[in-house]
Amino acid sequence: MFGALRNKWNRKGLKDERFDFLFMDDNSGEVVVFDCETTGLNPKKDEIISIGAVKIKDNRILTNESIHIYIKQEKQISHESITIHKIRHCDLEHAVTIEKAIEKFLHFIEGRTLAGYYLEFDVAMINKYTKRMYGITLPNKQEEVSAIYYDKKIPTIPQGNIDLRFETIIEDLALPKLQAHDALNDAVMTAMIYLKLKNTKSLRRT
Amino acid sequence: MIALLERLQAHLPFSLLQRQELHTIESSAKIAYYPNGEKCISAQSKPETFYYIIKGVVEVKKGDELIDLYHDDDSFGGIEIIEEQESNYDYIVTEELICYEIPKEILLQLCEKNDAFKHYFFSSIVERIEMIKAYNESAKMADIMVARIDDSIWHDACVVDADMPVIKALAKLESEKAAALLVKNPEGYGIVTDADLRKYILHTETENLKWISQIQSYPVISIPEGELFFNVLLLMTGNSIKHLPVMNENGEPVGVLVMIDLLSYFANQSHLIGNQIEKATDLESVISAAKRIDVMIKTLHYKGVKSRYIARLVSEIHKKMYARIFELIFPKAWHDKCTLLLLGSEGRGEQILKTDQDNAMIFEEEFVPKDKKRFLLKFTETLDAIGFPRCEGNVMVINPKWAKGAEAYRKDIKRWIESPDAEGLMDLAIFYDAFAVAGNVDIFKSLRDTLIKEAGEYTTFLPHFAKAVESFESPIGLFSRFVSMDKAHKNEIDIKKGALFALVHGVRALALEHGITKTNTTERIKALSNTGYMGKEEASNLIETFEVLNTLRLHTRLEKLEHGKKPNNFVDWRALNKLERDTLKEALKIVETFKKRVAYHFHLSNVS
Repeated sequence: MFGALRNKWNRKGLKDERFDFLFMDDNSGEVVVFDCETTGLNPKKDEIISIGAVKIKDNRILTNESIHIYIKQEKQISHESITIHKIRHCDLEHAVTIEKAIEKFLHFIEGRTLAGYYLEFDVAMINKYTKRMYGITLPNKQEEVSAIYYDKKIPTIPQGNIDLRFETIIEDLALPKLQAHDALNDAVMTAMIYLKLKNTKSLRRT
Repeated sequence: MIALLERLQAHLPFSLLQRQELHTIESSAKIAYYPNGEKCISAQSKPETFYYIIKGVVEVKKGDELIDLYHDDDSFGGIEIIEEQESNYDYIVTEELICYEIPKEILLQLCEKNDAFKHYFFSSIVERIEMIKAYNESAKMADIMVARIDDSIWHDACVVDADMPVIKALAKLESEKAAALLVKNPEGYGIVTDADLRKYILHTETENLKWISQIQSYPVISIPEGELFFNVLLLMTGNSIKHLPVMNENGEPVGVLVMIDLLSYFANQSHLIGNQIEKATDLESVISAAKRIDVMIKTLHYKGVKSRYIARLVSEIHKKMYARIFELIFPKAWHDKCTLLLLGSEGRGEQILKTDQDNAMIFEEEFVPKDKKRFLLKFTETLDAIGFPRCEGNVMVINPKWAKGAEAYRKDIKRWIESPDAEGLMDLAIFYDAFAVAGNVDIFKSLRDTLIKEAGEYTTFLPHFAKAVESFESPIGLFSRFVSMDKAHKNEIDIKKGALFALVHGVRALALEHGITKTNTTERIKALSNTGYMGKEEASNLIETFEVLNTLRLHTRLEKLEHGKKPNNFVDWRALNKLERDTLKEALKIVETFKKRVAYHFHLSNVS
């Protein structure tokens, strides 16, 4: 109930009518899994370097309908994040401005439910720009895969600590590992986690 | 590109595609998830997509009968799409499946554009093996390129002072048999190679050349220890130099690399190892060279070299090695009074990785060797040091049974043939495979003649001898399914007991009947074909089968070694890809047919 209220309030702030579709009921039956690579872990200070997103419908990851956008950087990327993301300045040749990227991303997700690993962070990164550009935050439904994993895992180890690291989850679910870590590959892996969890009633203890 | 799709490139038939064509797949394929029990393709339906398994297992069934199974990196559904056929079978997920689904239209489009890709779906097993080998060859080359140089490949450094007279320096070069001279100058090193000597010979008078430093190339181009092979080759090629000194961290030379050695290292290491063994003046050098044979085998195998060629190469090096060890250990007085025999697989020239020591010694009848026990023990201990496990059946020179006078052997041979018992039959099989590797070969030849003559005369003997081909049951059952014989090895088959043994022994019995003196199984098959006993086609089928089985055995042993396990002859058939499984089944069937032929030929049903 509060959610609906909050949504209404959010929509009142929308400055650009073109994006009214974000608030429409979604009938596609699809979920969008996405991941951002950023210059750091503080949404207030740090910038998005790239966004990878892929749709899921039924039990299929629609890799043929994916997007992978690199964003033009105003500041130099730090050495640290270069080593983490393996993105160098030369990779950013086909990069677009952050405004174009956000616009493209919103058209890709429309009203679909969003899913991701530690989704709040990625959503906060996107919100930082949508707030400034259009006066809104993402109204989409959100599903956090590490939370789903936690819920299915906890009945088997009631008082235990559950390791929620990305690699651990991939391993525990016996999913194939990808060497490459970029936004799109991480989104695809997250999509596999999502599908596997949706198809699993409860997880074994390990 | 999505990393999972990149994996496609490493597997047939996708490795036949161009970059652009792989992109076509990327922009059209979906990743699908199937829980257990779901059907990818139902019988009597036409598949809509071509499947490539990223992870999971799919069983192919006709009703309840299991026809085949597919797992990681296998693909299916292609031929039905291309032929526009309905599938004959159900494809059921038995282990949660993550796979690519490549749309029908895209597959057809790729087939239209790329003939090699299309051809794959219609290719025979033999053709597919060739394709895999061609691919492995290019893939494994890269591994050698990232290897680093070490002292196994460089020559010792021969260093002289700058003010040494030229002739004296050259004398030192000659006496140390070094590859090049390194000249120590007040500031850094120079080098003198054969090319510089030409200069010296031509200009001694005109330029008044006295000191070695006057003809050196200075300053010398060098590399630090542990440099990558790849960089070394680049540097030498780039500067057109054939000799390259290696410096330690203090800038002191430790060795000299020579281009020809590097090139043969790339070709294979056999040349190097062979040379080192022949040049060895002490046992330690033989041992250290022989220890590197395993690395060579691995490189060759992964380069896709057929195992019978590897076996031949290894066998050549082993022969050099045994000959050298023989000379270094046994007193001169022994050399033409005895024969050193290699037995078993080593005698047949089929031992690839060191499986065991199988050897014997025959002494000339009148000869009484001094300190016999001590020298024979030293021989065995040297083989221990190289890494040959001792023979479990104790077929070694340290066993008096396998180190005695010629007449004692002749008595044995007669007993083995005239009143065969289990042990005697086995000993005879071992002895018939013997290869005389060092010493006086004639002593052995006369014994072998006795063996062949006796075996020919006692007609009741050969069926007893051949009977052993029926010792083990075939690991392939109804509907071409693998059957494991051993409860401790579920889903595994013993490739030695299950197939190789029968093939080798059947060929051995037939060869003995035909008086063939060759010991190698492939050679024996060829000889049998030459006598007209066996048709050319049957012979080449048997040789190819032998090859397939040996390659698989080598592969499984190498893998086990790599994972730190004790190598054995068990092959996990679930770990084989579709193509390897089909090939293995075919090979097992050929061995079965051959066993029946041998049984019929020797009327084994009448032998108890």
